[in-house]
Amino acid sequence: MADDEFRQQALQHLDALHNLAVYLTRNGSEAEDLVQETYVRAMRFSHRFQPGTHLRAWLFQILRNTFLTFYRLREREAALSEDGVPEGESPMFHDAPTQDSGVAGVHMDLERALARLPEEFKTPLLLAEVEGLALEDVARIMDCPVGTVKSRIFRAKERLRTYLKDYDTGSKA
Amino acid sequence: MLRERLPRHPAPASLRAAVVQALLPDTPRRSWWTLWLAPAVSSLATAMIAMLWIAPSLTTAPASDPLQLVSRAVMSEHARNILWGESRSDVVPAALPRAMEESGVALNWVFTGDEDIQLINAKPTYLEGRRGIQLAYEDARGHTVTYVILPAGKVVLPERGRVQVDRWRPLLRKENGFSLIAWRQQGLLCMMVSDLVSDNDLDTFKQYFVKVRSSTEPYAVY
Repeated sequence: MADDEFRQQALQHLDALHNLAVYLTRNGSEAEDLVQETYVRAMRFSHRFQPGTHLRAWLFQILRNTFLTFYRLREREAALSEDGVPEGESPMFHDAPTQDSGVAGVHMDLERALARLPEEFKTPLLLAEVEGLALEDVARIMDCPVGTVKSRIFRAKERLRTYLKDYDTGSKA
Repeated sequence: MLRERLPRHPAPASLRAAVVQALLPDTPRRSWWTLWLAPAVSSLATAMIAMLWIAPSLTTAPASDPLQLVSRAVMSEHARNILWGESRSDVVPAALPRAMEESGVALNWVFTGDEDIQLINAKPTYLEGRRGIQLAYEDARGHTVTYVILPAGKVVLPERGRVQVDRWRPLLRKENGFSLIAWRQQGLLCMMVSDLVSDNDLDTFKQYFVKVRSSTEPYAVY
């Protein structure tokens, strides 16, 4: 695949990559850095990409590996408040201003619950449920068997329900 | 369920622009001289400004050889005669008295020409702060000879470069493609310039000198 063609196709997935980067880093500027680094690496290793395979999945794989290399350690070092949201960070989930307060509250709760999930659960859940990737592609990205992906997604949903129940109980109280 | 309830975060325009820029093919490296061009021009401009500032305070080199200054001025005048001089032999009888009156140099006798060379113009001149008279001759082959008579002042003709021509020992120089013969006469500095520079032409030039020297008697009026 020619560089120009590769470049054009890769750019089509920019929004999806940025979306995942936002949920992984929970920081707008770090998400942008992560996406840029992902594209730089993708271009550097474009000769390794097999034409005909899933470019979107390949880019997600690069993004996740980059995140694990550069961001995860820092994420673990970041101080977390009791509810699992990093302290000192401005709220980044800000693109639902037209929604009513009820829906916005649901979004806020869901995002806060998602933020509490470990990356191993959060990434397959986002890739499969939000980005719509096939489980085989998610397994390739996560570098684990498909069965493990299914298990992690199941457990991620269970944890989300538990977290959301806590928020629901807390808000009613 | 999750897809609908979870807000998406599309890439901002700034990120898209940054990524596109980052993915552009490497621009060709600029050659070394383009990298140095701006500093070089800046340095040159600074040096020029410094020179403009310093130049007025620099001492001017004194004129080491008054004869050389005058001879170069006469050669320049000769060049002007070649380029723009007029052949006005018909008005020379009228021009001579006026030139003598305005130049402060009188001519008891003047060589007006023969079958080889003719006086074609006469006018006052002002060279290197000296007021004098200028005569122009033209020979049969079209060579111009400029004869300038100025107050000698403190100009000294060195012995070196003098040649024996008939019964005189004038100074002979070749400079800038011209030949110059200089001598002192009645307290005046006389110079003849011509483009006759080859050995044969130089002999001809010397003959012209003899004709002029023997038939012209200038003196300073003031």
